[in-house]
Amino acid sequence: MKQALHKMNPSVKFLIITVCMLTLAFFFNPWTPLICWGGVILLQLCFSTIDWKKWLLFMIPFLIMSFGYFWTTIVFAEDRTGAVVWSVFQYDITRTQLDHALSLSFRVLAFAGLSLLFAFTTDPTKFILSLMQQLKLSPKIAYSILVGYQFLPVMKEEFVHIQQAHRLRGAVRDRNAIVRLWNVRRLLLPMLAGAVRKAERSAFAMEARGFTGEKRVEFYQVVRVGKNDVVMSALFIFILAAGCAITLK
Amino acid sequence: MTRVHEVIAFDSVGFRYPDDTAWLVEDLSFSIQAGERVVMTGPSGCGKSTILYLINRLYPENCDGELKGHITIFGRHALEYAPGEVNHRVATVFQDPDSQFCMRTVEEELAFTLENLRTPRSEMDGKIADVLRLTELTEFRDAVIQQLSGGEKQRIALACALIMEPEILLLDEPLSHLDPLSARSFVCLLDRLQQERGFTVVAIEHRLDLWGRFFNRELELQGQPQLSGIKKRTPSIRKESALRVEKLCTSTFLQQASFTLQKGEVAVLAGQNGSGKSTMLKALAGLVPAKGTVAPKTLGYVPQSPEFLFVSKTVEEEIAYGGGQKSREIMEAMQLEQVAGSHPFAVSHGQKRRVAIAAMLNDGRDVILMDEPTSGQDAVSLQELSRLIDERAREGTAFLIVTHDMEFAYAIADRILLMKDGSLTGAFQADDVWREPKLLEAHRLLAPKGAMEYEASFA
Repeated sequence: MKQALHKMNPSVKFLIITVCMLTLAFFFNPWTPLICWGGVILLQLCFSTIDWKKWLLFMIPFLIMSFGYFWTTIVFAEDRTGAVVWSVFQYDITRTQLDHALSLSFRVLAFAGLSLLFAFTTDPTKFILSLMQQLKLSPKIAYSILVGYQFLPVMKEEFVHIQQAHRLRGAVRDRNAIVRLWNVRRLLLPMLAGAVRKAERSAFAMEARGFTGEKRVEFYQVVRVGKNDVVMSALFIFILAAGCAITLK
Repeated sequence: MTRVHEVIAFDSVGFRYPDDTAWLVEDLSFSIQAGERVVMTGPSGCGKSTILYLINRLYPENCDGELKGHITIFGRHALEYAPGEVNHRVATVFQDPDSQFCMRTVEEELAFTLENLRTPRSEMDGKIADVLRLTELTEFRDAVIQQLSGGEKQRIALACALIMEPEILLLDEPLSHLDPLSARSFVCLLDRLQQERGFTVVAIEHRLDLWGRFFNRELELQGQPQLSGIKKRTPSIRKESALRVEKLCTSTFLQQASFTLQKGEVAVLAGQNGSGKSTMLKALAGLVPAKGTVAPKTLGYVPQSPEFLFVSKTVEEEIAYGGGQKSREIMEAMQLEQVAGSHPFAVSHGQKRRVAIAAMLNDGRDVILMDEPTSGQDAVSLQELSRLIDERAREGTAFLIVTHDMEFAYAIADRILLMKDGSLTGAFQADDVWREPKLLEAHRLLAPKGAMEYEASFA
């Protein structure tokens, strides 16, 4: 039970989350996104084994962003009708203003919550395999992504090597962050040269093993759609429906 | 597979890349019978790899090259095969262990090959188990490929090739990144498998010493300048000390090490993959935090890819980058004037190495540390490397070189420093080391030539 979100078929999860996001975009009120955000967190509490510390860390930028939306909408609001609900430093905040501000900031949180749910409960390899099997993604694209994914640690190692070599040449780290960023271009050239060579070699190795990029019929790892997916999707829809229903009263 | 018949036939084949005017390969004819073990030799750039790629049909489609003559594979004209079709019968093991896999684990990688062959799913599990048993890799089934050693990766590449049950196995310098004992165990395995399965082996290789009597025919491409190995250099050690290292260690892996180098001395640092040789060089060069004393403080360091060092747009600027005043003289001494205005990425590999060393010397770094300069190099470029080292050592530069190539070490080294599990186990006079097979074996090394007598296992 604790693994239900992790065991969900990645394509189904992807689709249902997309549906949730699109629906949320049509509802402009504070309650719908708030309920969805809360529901998503509840889902993860019940059906996943994610690292909540990491989750919180990733949530921080979204919280800042959402707060940013909140106060800018309040300060620069155009529509100032409605009853005054709050007065800070002789500045009156009306009902409409507050509603708009909260709607926007909760929307940011709801979107972030949905994205993080997907990112933290989905194995990237399984996601690609599932896209290929359920959503008919071309193997050519799918396997290029998988190979690229294998390259990431190698690239990181190479980046460190080059950085070390450059330090040896006396290329000192500049204090100014912008200059430092500009200097990264020197590291990119050798990395790019290496990456092009590696990419060609990988392509050859794949082709030599009979890979042509044609649609394949047999998969070793079959990613299935099952009962679990139906139940979990129903839960997602329920949360979404609850969020939407609240505005219809 | 006892029938003898022709599996590959080249009839006056020529090939050139789209932008070249000269033919890379011209008028090449040969044929290979089923079950043969053939090796193609020749200097780099003579088209060895190209011929291999013509056999497994990666060329000419992938490079738009121009082909003339006739290539017949399994009695059928090569151009008649659909893309990928011939790859079901011809398998290839490539040179670089790091860039021939596309999945995370060994099992997934083998399954990828079977999926390409459209093997029914019910048969996949059995086939994977069989090939792993055959290549003695059963315990690695769930291992993550990127975390394995070079030797293990090449065995997995071999398993991926054999799971296709190929009739021809192509090998593209499969040993060049392996330490000597891993290389020999790879050859042993291949020898046994070939006897059991009877497939045809076509390899390209410029160093045959590690293969023993494996091949029964050699195809020599182009008049290769006769290289009977690299000439052994005469020592040029001077009395002055060049480098003093005391109790050097890193916090995690490298154990305390102390040694000295004299001016003009060439020392080789050897040991199996993962014994800490590269870490040692980096600690010496101050690239990773380390405790202990290294005098002088600034040492020259040349990584396996010299271009990692380059920060400028021309060779001349590159050499002058550190602020040294002698760039002109050094460039002249290193024969780099002709390429002074070229981009350092655009010169040949040998020249890149020269530029790197020249830049180090111009910075006043008179001890040069080199990380695996021999790996993936052919005979000509090895000879050039040894000439370069000898040339500079005579001028008083001290070298510490990490290499797996014991033939090369034998030719250039005055002293051998051995490493195992992160500690320096000793510094020996080069000539003494080769006479101690036990010591070498403990460090997964093989003595060059003399001790390379092939045992019964190869027969």
